[in-house]
Amino acid sequence: MSEFYVNGVPVTVETNRKLLRYLRDELQLTSVKDGCSEGACGACTVLIDGEPCRACTPDTDKLEGKHILTVEGLTDEEKTLYTYAYGEAGAVQCGFCIPGMVLCTKALLDKNPDPTEQQIKYALRNNYCRCTGYVKIIAAVKLAAKLKRAGEIPAPSHTDWKLGSSVHRLDVAEKVQGYGKYPDDWYVPGMTYGSAVRAKYPRARVLKIDASRALALDGVLAVLTADDIPGENRIGHIKHDQYTLVPVGGLTHYLGDAIALVVAKDQLTLEKAKKLVDVEYEVLPAVHNPTEAAADDAPHVFDEEGTNMQAVRRVSRGDADGAIAKAKYVISRHFETPWTEHAFLEPECAVSYLDKDGDVMLLTTDQSAHTTLHECTLLLGTKKIKVENQLVGGGFGGKEDMSVQHHAALITYVTGLPVKVKLSRAESLLVHPKRHPFWMDFTMGCDEEGHILGVKAKVVSDTGAFASLGGPVLERACTHAAGPYAYENFSIEGTAYYTNNPPAGAFRGFGVTQTCFAIESLLNEMADKVGISPWEIRWRNAIRPGQVLPNGQIVGPETGLAETLEAVKADYDAAVAAGKPVGIACAMKNAGVGVGLPDYGRCKLIVENDGKLHIYAGASCIGQGVGTVLVQMVVTNTGLSRDDIIYERSNTWIAPDSGDTSGSRQTLVTGEACRRACEKLSEALRQKPLAQLAGQEFYGEYLARTDPLGSKKENPVSHVAYGYATQMCVLDKKTGKLEKIVAAHDVGKAVNPISCEGQIEGGVVMSMGYALREQYPIDENCKPIDKFGKLGLFRAHEIPEIKAIVVDKPGLDVACGAIGIGEITSIPTAPAIADAYFRLDGERRTKLPLVNTPYERRR
Amino acid sequence: MAVKKRFPYRAALVACNGGCRATAECEYGCVACGICVGACRFDAIEINALGVAEVNEEKCIACGACVRECPRGLIHIHDCANPIVVKCSNRDLGKNARKYCEVSCIGCGMCAKACPAGAIAVQDNLAAIDESVCLSCGQCAVKCPRGAIRDLRGILTGRK
Repeated sequence: MSEFYVNGVPVTVETNRKLLRYLRDELQLTSVKDGCSEGACGACTVLIDGEPCRACTPDTDKLEGKHILTVEGLTDEEKTLYTYAYGEAGAVQCGFCIPGMVLCTKALLDKNPDPTEQQIKYALRNNYCRCTGYVKIIAAVKLAAKLKRAGEIPAPSHTDWKLGSSVHRLDVAEKVQGYGKYPDDWYVPGMTYGSAVRAKYPRARVLKIDASRALALDGVLAVLTADDIPGENRIGHIKHDQYTLVPVGGLTHYLGDAIALVVAKDQLTLEKAKKLVDVEYEVLPAVHNPTEAAADDAPHVFDEEGTNMQAVRRVSRGDADGAIAKAKYVISRHFETPWTEHAFLEPECAVSYLDKDGDVMLLTTDQSAHTTLHECTLLLGTKKIKVENQLVGGGFGGKEDMSVQHHAALITYVTGLPVKVKLSRAESLLVHPKRHPFWMDFTMGCDEEGHILGVKAKVVSDTGAFASLGGPVLERACTHAAGPYAYENFSIEGTAYYTNNPPAGAFRGFGVTQTCFAIESLLNEMADKVGISPWEIRWRNAIRPGQVLPNGQIVGPETGLAETLEAVKADYDAAVAAGKPVGIACAMKNAGVGVGLPDYGRCKLIVENDGKLHIYAGASCIGQGVGTVLVQMVVTNTGLSRDDIIYERSNTWIAPDSGDTSGSRQTLVTGEACRRACEKLSEALRQKPLAQLAGQEFYGEYLARTDPLGSKKENPVSHVAYGYATQMCVLDKKTGKLEKIVAAHDVGKAVNPISCEGQIEGGVVMSMGYALREQYPIDENCKPIDKFGKLGLFRAHEIPEIKAIVVDKPGLDVACGAIGIGEITSIPTAPAIADAYFRLDGERRTKLPLVNTPYERRR
Repeated sequence: MAVKKRFPYRAALVACNGGCRATAECEYGCVACGICVGACRFDAIEINALGVAEVNEEKCIACGACVRECPRGLIHIHDCANPIVVKCSNRDLGKNARKYCEVSCIGCGMCAKACPAGAIAVQDNLAAIDESVCLSCGQCAVKCPRGAIRDLRGILTGRK
């Protein structure tokens, strides 16, 4: 027992537990986020006697007499100050790290009212952020310090909500003050806790499941197995190959496979009970990598498949072999890129209960509520399901697949109980699909002026335990492997193999991050062969409006690669002139699913009885800010004021399906659907004011129409639009560390420029990790061995200067010209950094993470 | 002497808790000989109530004079931003380290296991924190069965 103070109020805690559990479960101070419960992430930071501490570390019994502060306990002045500063600086994206960051800010400013930039970085350095790259959070602290000293908070610098205005995002207050709800922040009456017993072996046959010992434990409410599933056991994004629960007689595919679901009245009982479920296995040899998978005598990952080959994609145009044979310069290289973990700050969680209609109501953190609905409908064999997105603490592709949603839905459907299913951080690292590792062989031929004549490539990926989005990722890797350049002869063959490793799927960049590293590294080497600068070789080959990409598509007037090259030119030349090691790379990335697949954006604008316009779109905000984008679209296209508009989170019963938040598509695809709905609303507003339109609904739909791969058309449209980028990296010659990264991105029309910058900085820092440090090692039992804190994510004090340049280039005739920027920000970073290190020490590095840099981790 | 310190601040750390309560039997323990106190030109070290040298981080400029002078090699320079420190230098086997001191590191490795960042390694029966990797979470300090790892702020553990 102990007595201490929480936000100034004395409390007595009878039963000892971690402070985090007491603050969340008992006091429901849910601003204190549970990101890992192992001390790594910093999302649960509170102030104890004024010092930042993780709430997951101390036991309540050890806190006698101490004063605990959470953001709920800040004064009104402080709440206003930090909300303003974080909003004005554009520091809030997914928001999961923000309450912790805010408390670090307070702790710093209380002691040091005028901190230097380095002091700010040190104050934040123990807290991870995966969205922002820290740049804008550091700016927010600087601004907060200035305003606190001045004692006055001015009006926001942008108040006009039209496109192109850097207004404060609409979700700043709820995220800074911590009252916005992620699924884990729900404590519904009578809520139970559910969790999966996972496979003990990556490849084994389940012979027997005995839950009797678990069921005998007091507080255990149910144990579900495959027999309890009313609908299809196997679900999956495209291919239904993922067991919800492995049945007796079924094969496990990786260590994350769920065998049984335990439901208990509290979390402690749940953990105990999971250990009491006895499963008998016939252990079988596992497949560890694509080489093993491709062997003639390889065991099959799937009983039903005659091969471990998951997908093969070929893209070919012109005559690559002929062109390379005639080329003056030819280079062939082998490249490798590693597994990468998304490391979003919020682990997967879903809350489920029966609503008043008797439907299963699912509160989720995922990249599409409608996809969750679709998969759960298959699983339960009923349509009596509703899904509503809560705040999503980052996704980056890792929340596209089912992880906990289907388990929560199943528990509620079978038992009728309200339940929370949440992954521990260790489970999250194991369960959700990762970035594919790739093995790539590329050959490039150039003429003597450095014009690319042809490229030929062969790539192999490890797609792990189930298909997920392995096929489309491979496809995008292949279609973008040619780079954003104008040449005709290109051929590539890609193969993805199943293994018993954790699954690989969508991850920001979607395969392009991998092949871009190869093609851009080759191009840098080619520039040296030709005797021109890496900038110049790109300038000579860059795709320009009206030209034809190697995939046959004629690019539109919005194509701005050349402009991004021009945007970095001054910095590039200055660094070269100063004798600094500087590397450069370009990239292109589709916005929208493309390649002939049905890609719909849908949006409903409803005038409700409150006289306000409510925006409903089944498009998840995973931190990127689609809500703010849509409000800015509506203000621009209707002339309504910001105060007339309410953005509603994605759900499945009012908001129409607008596809996954994936492929940098929501700004463009849902943006255009919203613009179309605005046209209809504007028509109505000409007759009547908004308040008199109550009850009316305005619907917009947009099909981003494209041609399939292998289309017979001479110039097929593979994607409705592409974003383009040039990034460059400057190294400090003395330390060998990164000094500066300049990232110029063509976004068509920047809806909210400061949000665009935030995306750029976040993408760059994420891929600094990819280039220099991040790994996801897997042992011989196909088990990922590292904890969250060991992944190698960059911390606030380690980031160099990042100069984000947003290039507006009009021309796209949909979505007011806006092109999504989510993924491309992290694509050219790694090859630019690799080239800079070559300029430093003359070593060509063809493998990520790069070796022999000061960032290399000793293991 | 007022000296302008350069950020990030560093300071000397005496890696001894003084748990033996100033008996001289631990050959890795501070014996309060006072050499470091004399060597410090900034008046930053004193012998505390437990009879061991203690550094005032506000005053210390990490010049390293005490590090060089300490006859037992118990002092090293550390990053002030990392308040979680191993305050023991005992390299004896655990069963011996246990004998002379209530708060000695016995090299059990519980801290390394608890560390989420892979920042701790036990070498020669003694835990060492790599401060460039440490996240200052204090999981090691609260798990340490001996109280050898301390939070210098006095929040997660006592200061001494």
